Amino acid sequence: MRIVVCIKEVLDPDAVNNYALAGRLEIGEDGKSLTQTTIPQLMNGFDEQAIEAALRIRDAGVECTLCVVSVGADPSVPLRHAAALGADEVATIAPPSPEPDSHTVAQLLAGYIRSLGGADLVLCGRQASDDDQGVVPALVGELLDMPVVAIARAVEQPASGTLRVTRVTPDGDEIVETSTPALVTISNELGDPRYPTAASKLKARRVQPKALTAEELALEADALAPRVALTRQFVPTVQGNCEFITGDSPAELADRLVARLREDKLLA
Amino acid sequence: MTTNAVVVCTWSDARGDVLEETEAALTLARRTSTALGTDFTWLVVGPLPAEAVDIAQRQGVASLEHIEDPKAAAGQADGFVEGLTQYCAERTPKLLLFSQGFDVRLVAPRLAGRLGAGIVMNAVDIEASDDGALNVTASAYGGDTRRVYALAGTGPALVSLLANAVLPERVDGAPSPTVAPVAVDLASVEERVRVIEAARTEGPRLEDAEIIVAGGRGLASPDNYKLVEQLAEALGGLPGASRPLVDEGWVDSSRQVGLTGKITRPGLYLAAGISGASQHMAGCAAAKSIAAINTDPDAAIFRYARYGVVGDCLEILPELIRAAKQGS
Ligand SMILES: Cc1cc2nc3c(=O)[nH]c(=O)nc-3n(C[C@H](O)[C@H](O)[C@H](O)COP(=O)(O)OP(=O)(O)OC[C@H]3O[C@@H](n4cnc5c(N)ncnc54)[C@H](O)[C@@H]3O)c2cc1C
Ligand SMILES: Nc1ncnc2c1ncn2[C@@H]1O[C@H](COP(=O)(O)O)[C@@H](O)[C@H]1O
Repeated sequence: MRIVVCIKEVLDPDAVNNYALAGRLEIGEDGKSLTQTTIPQLMNGFDEQAIEAALRIRDAGVECTLCVVSVGADPSVPLRHAAALGADEVATIAPPSPEPDSHTVAQLLAGYIRSLGGADLVLCGRQASDDDQGVVPALVGELLDMPVVAIARAVEQPASGTLRVTRVTPDGDEIVETSTPALVTISNELGDPRYPTAASKLKARRVQPKALTAEELALEADALAPRVALTRQFVPTVQGNCEFITGDSPAELADRLVARLREDKLLA
Repeated sequence: MTTNAVVVCTWSDARGDVLEETEAALTLARRTSTALGTDFTWLVVGPLPAEAVDIAQRQGVASLEHIEDPKAAAGQADGFVEGLTQYCAERTPKLLLFSQGFDVRLVAPRLAGRLGAGIVMNAVDIEASDDGALNVTASAYGGDTRRVYALAGTGPALVSLLANAVLPERVDGAPSPTVAPVAVDLASVEERVRVIEAARTEGPRLEDAEIIVAGGRGLASPDNYKLVEQLAEALGGLPGASRPLVDEGWVDSSRQVGLTGKITRPGLYLAAGISGASQHMAGCAAAKSIAAINTDPDAAIFRYARYGVVGDCLEILPELIRAAKQGS
């Protein structure tokens, strides 16, 4: 079977968090981009887990070709990481504008998958940790007319062609089945992704991702037109008015905190 | 027939709280439709709840519509997407507003794909500009930033409103809404995803809890999570957790609070050994009061907290359990 994993390179969310909390997150002159060059780029965490999900299917003995694709300016670092993990093909597609919207990205990803002759399984992260949208996978699923199973912790491909997916719902796990081709989005509950071995990392250093353009994917400008435009980005203020409880012992601290919470009628 | 309307789309559900979350979306939709000068519709998918007319009236809804077809019910993604596609083809709404929940995270983007419509998830506000464009403010980077997106164009725009982002506001003296069923033809729809084993709802939900005691990595070992559970019980609340505890398998994922977990709004959120990363706070910042215990006086959680205790939660939690049991 052919598995395509869609990965996005994002700014390290922990670093963004630290700068934001320190009040030092910089927004560029365009009023919308984060410009700190000290914030590293990483593969979106859920996407790393989507690759892991694919590798687990391979580990289970299912013969599969694994293609990993990313739309971005130069995502060769995460793509080489994917190659080191065992991807058979890694590909990058240059977006028509620096900030493509979800529709544009989905068109490019769907175009790539079509150019391969389709896929039995498309794996995505549940959401990208920069925009938090969780929209691209559903759009790809619609474009390719695939059923979409969102927010999964486990994906099994038994011989039958039926896909069995465990979804993480607010009420606990739900097990669903669907036929392939299908698209599944992966959540953190899948567990830690593996690391490539030193030898495979070394070998992957020479891998050049296949570079594709919209024209090569036979996509019309019309299809690529964005629907949503980012116009502004800002850091919301967090108003801090913390009253620190003091005391000489844990017991005293606890008593004073409980007393304050009772005064505020937050506790009975 | 109305076209170009602002439409709030929700599913009816046996749980009243779903409707409560809906009121925030209705309030935002009313403001938007007033600014745009367009009609204001509430579309309920599923049987019309008895209180829907009252809610619609106090939110100033002009027309209350409902799709009864059980094939469009929550969780039936293919049926819902097809039903709403038919609805949009007929009514051409200007804006379709959802209240973001688990099912919406999947079906709203799928519907956007089917319609070729612009969509913004995690919205916290909508502003209509004079030329009729919609500027949607949404949370990004787990809440570290807000992004403003412009949704222009003719087709319907889809927006999913984050829980707790808008305070519901009622209007007085609005007329009773018109109520009308909407027919859709879903005879040919066959759900492609089949549920083999349903999720089992277990007990009360964190989203409804008045008191939550949440533990984080500062608890240091899975055994110590018992302290969080015991304190929650002593206070008549529920235990919650940060994501690392779920990732490590210490607690079930239904306990996770945050961006990709539960979005809660308790009266009191007591956080022990939680640093206060934006992605965690996304699930509890709407609490009326946050109390935090952390060994690090500079921990981010104290920015959000009403009360802070700098100290070892492994020493303080047992004392809190004792103090809670002592009564006032
Ligand atoms: C896309 C994305 C989505 C995410 N979604 C979520 C989500 O939904 N929910 C979520 O929680 N996280 C989420 N995260 C992770 C989040 O960014 C943080 O990594 C996580 O919340 C940290 O958990 P923590 O506070 O328990 O651990 P840490 O950040 O490690 O903090 C532990 C804290 O405990 C304190 N401490 C240590 N020992 C003690 C002690 N003895 N007594 C008291 N305090 C002590 C430390 O000072 C520290 O502040 C997400 C991340 C990403 C990138
Ligand atoms: N530029 C991109 N290139 C490849 N995959 C992407 C891209 N953007 C989003 N995706 C995929 O879609 C998922 C959800 O992204 P988003 O809709 O942006 O939150 C990500 O986890 C990726 O799997």
